[in-house]
Amino acid sequence: MSLVWADHKSLSANRTPYPQAKSALRARNAGRHRLQRHWENSPRRLVVDTWALTLRIFRRWARDPATMSQSLAMPVVLLATIHILLEDGVSLVTGHSALYGSVPLIAMVGAMTGSIISALGIMRERSGGLLSRLWVLPVHRAAGLLSRLVADAVRILVTTGVILCAGMVMGFRFKQGILESVAWLSVPVIFGMAFSVVVITLALYSANTIAVEATDILAALVMFFSTGFVPLDQYPEWIQPVVEHQPVSYAIEAMKGLSLGGPVLVPMIGTVLWSVGIVIVCAVPLALGYRKASTRG
Amino acid sequence: MIRPSLRNGEIATLAAASIMFTGGFYISLKQITGPFTGMSSYAQFLTPMIVVVAISFSAVSAAFRSATDAEQGINQRFKTMPMRALTPFTSRITASMFRCTIALGVSLTCGHVIGFRFNGSLIDTVSFVGLALFFGAALSMLGDLIGAATENPESTTHLMLLPQLILGFLSVGVQPANRFPEWVQPFVRNQPASQFVSALRALAGDKTPSAPEATWSAIGPSMLWALGIITIVIPLHILVARRRR
Repeated sequence: MSLVWADHKSLSANRTPYPQAKSALRARNAGRHRLQRHWENSPRRLVVDTWALTLRIFRRWARDPATMSQSLAMPVVLLATIHILLEDGVSLVTGHSALYGSVPLIAMVGAMTGSIISALGIMRERSGGLLSRLWVLPVHRAAGLLSRLVADAVRILVTTGVILCAGMVMGFRFKQGILESVAWLSVPVIFGMAFSVVVITLALYSANTIAVEATDILAALVMFFSTGFVPLDQYPEWIQPVVEHQPVSYAIEAMKGLSLGGPVLVPMIGTVLWSVGIVIVCAVPLALGYRKASTRG
Repeated sequence: MIRPSLRNGEIATLAAASIMFTGGFYISLKQITGPFTGMSSYAQFLTPMIVVVAISFSAVSAAFRSATDAEQGINQRFKTMPMRALTPFTSRITASMFRCTIALGVSLTCGHVIGFRFNGSLIDTVSFVGLALFFGAALSMLGDLIGAATENPESTTHLMLLPQLILGFLSVGVQPANRFPEWVQPFVRNQPASQFVSALRALAGDKTPSAPEATWSAIGPSMLWALGIITIVIPLHILVARRRR
């Protein structure tokens, strides 16, 4: 929206107050205001437009209590209940606090359920016509989609930060260096982005919200069958391979290694491979779907 | 009201959620808490909890429905029609009872698959079903009220999810109360979800003699809770209905 406003400003700046003195000026400047200094799809416009649209999404979220409670309060309550529920049982089996698994677990769940809100937002903007309106404005073609992803990354980082604080209160500590702690924060962002890409793609191709809301069930399923909920050897033999190799378990193991100590490289590679694989599969349908959603009707 | 719920995936989601909770709790927690339940199997211990969760999910969709109705203004339209004031409400509750029945069926099927059996008499089994549906009716009315009061489907669902989460996880449904930290045990033992779970558990019975008896002291509190919810909610419903011009 601010882009439209800027164009208006440049239009009115070219208008001089005195009509008589204007003709010469007008001859010189004829049509100058129509010339774009930067081509619509130039890289420079991409950065500016993405930033403007990202800020727009943030403002929207900040004013919506449902979003705020879902992405900030929910994970904290979930962490507290799971902590109360499982702390004694799990620490009895593993010998260390269950928080080293449950804090990453809830961070991942928070990242996943948050992307559902984001995707529902896209659907609302599609049916409200905002996407097609942005499509006819001189905005970089990729900015709409990129701003969604940037906003999602920031959202995941903030959610993870809040969950981390709650975990710290309950007794979670970083036992490795500063570098590892920063890397710990980045793990949910890596996989959360990949999950966002999936959910947004799904949202762009489905007509009603049920399909998107059903990913909630997927998130819960992934939560139950991950190494962050209960240690791997507590699952029945036949399901252990699934639990061990699903992406969230990889991410949790990497985060466990980065905070408590233990293997980091292998689970980290697993997380990155899963995420990159998901993004590669979804990239083209995502771009096409966004174009279709923006040009419909 | 029933027809769209088959088409828009509501019933499918309900069934999927029941199956997911059964699998999620049973498979992942069987080994870690199973031996501490004092019952013949973890399935016997867990299934009442699955029933309660499934029914509370259908209460959430009741809230969603009534919020959508209120938001889209169909309630106002009903008011202009020659029907009793409570007809839309009772029809919504009837539709919700249909969903509760399906939820009960699906969750009992899930329970049967993992090894849950009714060990009590026929009367016990009938009262199991009756109590579960009674509970469903109370929760549906509560959900319907919240939906009608907020008129916002999205925030209603969130509003209902938090208490559901807390009451569900911190109950005797998943693990016995003495496995929780000391300070939270009184809450775990006495909160309504636990009362319902233990009442249903008593009615389902068990093969071992140490199983809880189906006495009034086991079932009474849950019935009082449901009755209490209903008696509080119905006047509030009338209040909310009057509020609207």
